Amino acid sequence: MVTEYALRMGDGKRVFLTREKILSEIEAGSGNAADLGEIPDLSADEIDRLAEILMMPGKAVSVEQGMEVPVTHDIGTIRLDGDQGNSGVGIPSSRLVSCMTHERAFGADTMELGHIDYSFKPVKPVVANECQAMEVCQQNMIIPLFYGAMPNMGLYYTPDGPFENPGDLMKAFKIDKAKDSMEHAAEHLTRDTVWVMQKLFASGADGVNFDTTAAAGDADMYGTLNAVKTLRALYPEMYIEMGMAGEMVLGMHGELEYDGVRLAGLWPHEQAPLAATAGANVFGPVVNTNTSKTSAWNLARAVTFIKAAVEASSIPCHVNMGMGVGGIPMLETPPVDAVTRASKAMVEIAGVDGI
Amino acid sequence: MADFEGSLHEVADAVISCKKEKVLEAVEKAKAELPPEEIIDKGLSAGMNQVGVLFERGKLFLPHVMMAADAMTAGVKLLEEGMPAGSREKKLGTIVNGTVEGDVHDIGKSIVSTMLQSAGFEVHDIGRDVPIRNFVQKAKETDADMIGISALMTTTLQGQREVIELLKEEGLRSRVKIMVGGAPATQAWADKIGADCYAENASEAVSKAKELLL
Amino acid sequence: MPISHIMASGMTGIRAAGDLVARMEFSKNMRIGEAKEYVAKKLNVDTMDLSDEHIMRELREELDIGVITSVPGAAKGIAAKMNIEKLLDIKINSCETFRAQIA
Repeated sequence: MVTEYALRMGDGKRVFLTREKILSEIEAGSGNAADLGEIPDLSADEIDRLAEILMMPGKAVSVEQGMEVPVTHDIGTIRLDGDQGNSGVGIPSSRLVSCMTHERAFGADTMELGHIDYSFKPVKPVVANECQAMEVCQQNMIIPLFYGAMPNMGLYYTPDGPFENPGDLMKAFKIDKAKDSMEHAAEHLTRDTVWVMQKLFASGADGVNFDTTAAAGDADMYGTLNAVKTLRALYPEMYIEMGMAGEMVLGMHGELEYDGVRLAGLWPHEQAPLAATAGANVFGPVVNTNTSKTSAWNLARAVTFIKAAVEASSIPCHVNMGMGVGGIPMLETPPVDAVTRASKAMVEIAGVDGI
Repeated sequence: MADFEGSLHEVADAVISCKKEKVLEAVEKAKAELPPEEIIDKGLSAGMNQVGVLFERGKLFLPHVMMAADAMTAGVKLLEEGMPAGSREKKLGTIVNGTVEGDVHDIGKSIVSTMLQSAGFEVHDIGRDVPIRNFVQKAKETDADMIGISALMTTTLQGQREVIELLKEEGLRSRVKIMVGGAPATQAWADKIGADCYAENASEAVSKAKELLL
Repeated sequence: MPISHIMASGMTGIRAAGDLVARMEFSKNMRIGEAKEYVAKKLNVDTMDLSDEHIMRELREELDIGVITSVPGAAKGIAAKMNIEKLLDIKINSCETFRAQIA
């Protein structure tokens, strides 16, 4: 009887595959990334290594001793006291408690303070509250403590913001108006994030984490890159992490450029150098999980993309490995076997500087 | 690049170029050689499908998709001028698309609407944070063939099930197809709530809508 | 899930030397290898030791850069970070802010 190994589907469901099937899934997943990103496939050795990791008998696996990397925490405090439908477990606690729990009980290498809405724009009216929380936390914390939020440029469009929704304008074939709207929103996004971070940095934040950059497409990335550039010019010592929302920058506008590079359609290995140029210290690449594919396919695809980004980057890359990204199944409670295998593969094969 | 031949190839390439004048020029030329139905199907639509593929691959962007769709519509109109009224191209189907109540995520759903519209469906995008009843009302009002329901949070995902349940209560379920999507949605979830299909992304939404409605 | 990652790949923060390596990545753009070597040199240990709780527990207490338990009289919070500044030869913003406030 042929031996079958317990893997996962992209939605977390258990699936049993033979070694041959695992290898073919890895080749297909890696090939898909190579084709889309126009990057190298995984080598034969890397494919074998990935298969070996996926077929390890233990429930949890880990990196070889000495290969550990810093594990950082997007969404940070909200993970414990929040419960927003995509993260957070709703434990009544203060954000200080959450920060210190991560530092002293969980073994986190860095931590992040965030607002319950987790977007920069809504922080503006409550920034004093955020500064106060940052000051209290920094008095007690030892590990680096960021302020983190999403650029979330969608909040600048109607009905949430002042500019006409480009999605509606596009559907009405008002393409130039849609582009104008995106450009205006990007300017406001830059202005707001810089303003918020000026306050938080004055309150002792180690730095900023731009989480889910480009969620609203290329203009969102344009606004964020300009915010990074401005903050870097103002604060040479600020820790700046720029993490992405998806694997490819959606071309909602299509013509915006940063440093002479068109932003629309960029894949992780093309995004990383721009983050460095703007002044980020760490880049957070993302690769989406396809829920209909196996963990072998998804992880091979993610490792192929991330390996190329790590190689192209001049700054450290901390790969995003939350629910539904980086080879992790799209499930609120991602299985430990899938998470630890993905974690090990990203460090040992893709060569990431952190997670 | 797709493998189109002769004048059909030229029509498809013109659509991919997103330029209306080029499309009209290519259609005018093809008209002399081929029946309008074939030009629409194997030239214009084939070109538009390729535009969708290039969008997913990051080679073309949303404004291009809209320009290509506009150019394709102009090409279809030109061909219809010479066609008998009964044989003129009809919309592929009518789709109501929106994000469920309590969920303000808009962008992914809007891209899906745009791609469906560009592919030739009549799309009624009812926005985000849409009350369950509004999906059903809009479907009735437009005599929709399909409802697309988006949700980006695990807490709002239940709204997709509620739309299906309300359609059943109203006796409309058998004549309206349901497509679900959004980050936490999966094929297993679609099966569980009795949706007709799950789409991973915008181009898959177009191909699955075509599978179900054509 | 974060705990799964920490167990599988993490440097476990102040249980070992994860915070120190992270600080070098963020403050000087150092890649993982360079950051580990820099910290190891400053601590006079091997890079492998940076994730070794047994070695780092004693060393952190000796260097007074913060440990997870409440050792009486040991530096915590800002005080521990001020010692980290000296150890790694970097500036930490919360320490700078604190100094500016007491000046």
